[in-house]
Amino acid sequence: MVETQPRLIFGVSDFIAIVNQTLDYAYPVVEIEGEVSSFKVNQGKYVFFDIKDSQSSIGCFMSVWQLRLPIEDGMKVIVSATPKLTQWGKFSLTIKTIRPSGEGALKKSFDILKAKLDQEGLFAIDRKRQLPSSPQHVAVISSTEAAGYADFVKILNDRWGGVRVDVAHVQVQGASAPDQIIRAINYFNQQQVIPDVLVIIRGGGSADDLSAFNDEPLVRAIAASRIPTLVGVGHETDESLADMVADVRAATPSNAAQILVSDKNDAIKSIRTKTGSLLPRILQIIDRQQQIVTDLVYGAVKQMDRAVDDQVKNLLSIRSILTQLDPNMVLRRGYALIRGDTKPGEVIEVETLKIILKAEVKNVTIK
Amino acid sequence: MSQSSKTIQEKITELNQLVAWFDGDDFVIEQALDRYKQAEALAADIEKELLSLKNDIQVVKQKFDRDN
Repeated sequence: MVETQPRLIFGVSDFIAIVNQTLDYAYPVVEIEGEVSSFKVNQGKYVFFDIKDSQSSIGCFMSVWQLRLPIEDGMKVIVSATPKLTQWGKFSLTIKTIRPSGEGALKKSFDILKAKLDQEGLFAIDRKRQLPSSPQHVAVISSTEAAGYADFVKILNDRWGGVRVDVAHVQVQGASAPDQIIRAINYFNQQQVIPDVLVIIRGGGSADDLSAFNDEPLVRAIAASRIPTLVGVGHETDESLADMVADVRAATPSNAAQILVSDKNDAIKSIRTKTGSLLPRILQIIDRQQQIVTDLVYGAVKQMDRAVDDQVKNLLSIRSILTQLDPNMVLRRGYALIRGDTKPGEVIEVETLKIILKAEVKNVTIK
Repeated sequence: MSQSSKTIQEKITELNQLVAWFDGDDFVIEQALDRYKQAEALAADIEKELLSLKNDIQVVKQKFDRDN
């Protein structure tokens, strides 16, 4: 008699559970690239769409908070997901992350989010705060292994000293980068004494590498930072939404260091110029004051001279008048001075220039 | 505040004020030389400090790869 193995009979729910266990074991997380279709958001919480290629299509599900970038039908994406058989026997992907794939999709997603945030006023000029001119305490968010970070530190140290720099080491590319950067932003913003400036830097890379800096929650976290922000991502030509929302945008990490602190060589030059000009200024002021004193003395002497001249002239004029009044001058001109009573029979005294004579008045005629 | 406990920025501000005094209404020639010597000493101190001061760069211990 041949013993037959008992046939395994599953309950429907058990079978679905076993399929899910098998899938979970074989494919805990899969990455799939495809095109989005039938994208919709239900009740503002749940996102449904299909991911497809030319031959096949799979339904996808995710929560709306997991959606970091704008997605729309026709966009090429890469999803990171867990495959699952639902209790209704429908195969679907539970999405962990979704990101645009290829430059076209990245650009499209970037443009949609940029327009949305711009409409909300996140990039408005009047939101921008000034950075302190000489920060004492700086927070830096970057990967300490990145070349961009090394450039930043080198330029910072070359330019200025005495700054306390707290660095948060984070991933600056890949799916986990935005959340790590957001945690670092929150960490610094929650300090009892907050830093003067928050610097977020990353060197150059491909559009996909830099796409972490176009993540909507990250852009909003930068906008919400109570610490003024300075963002330098990629090269000069790269433009990220993180750059645009920052209080100050640096073209590169090196440029961020240049914006952050002054150049000590310039400061030394300026100090030397300022103090070097003081002594000549003092001498110039002394010269000027000496000139003023000289001018005053000269003026006083001149005034005195003038006064003396005036007095001399005055004296000469008086002397001339006195001379005119001198009786001798009259006598010199041949006239005589008569003293006494001019009545007939009286004796009068007649004085000329050289003699005095006495004479008797004989006759008096009225003219 | 003693001279050494001031930050570079505070010292630069003090130097700027000293230099501005020479152009201000309070300027008196009798004090000019003293002020000049003060400015010279402060400038030398700032320059020395600028050339010797290092930044204090520390990587924070906090990890950011997951929620804490």
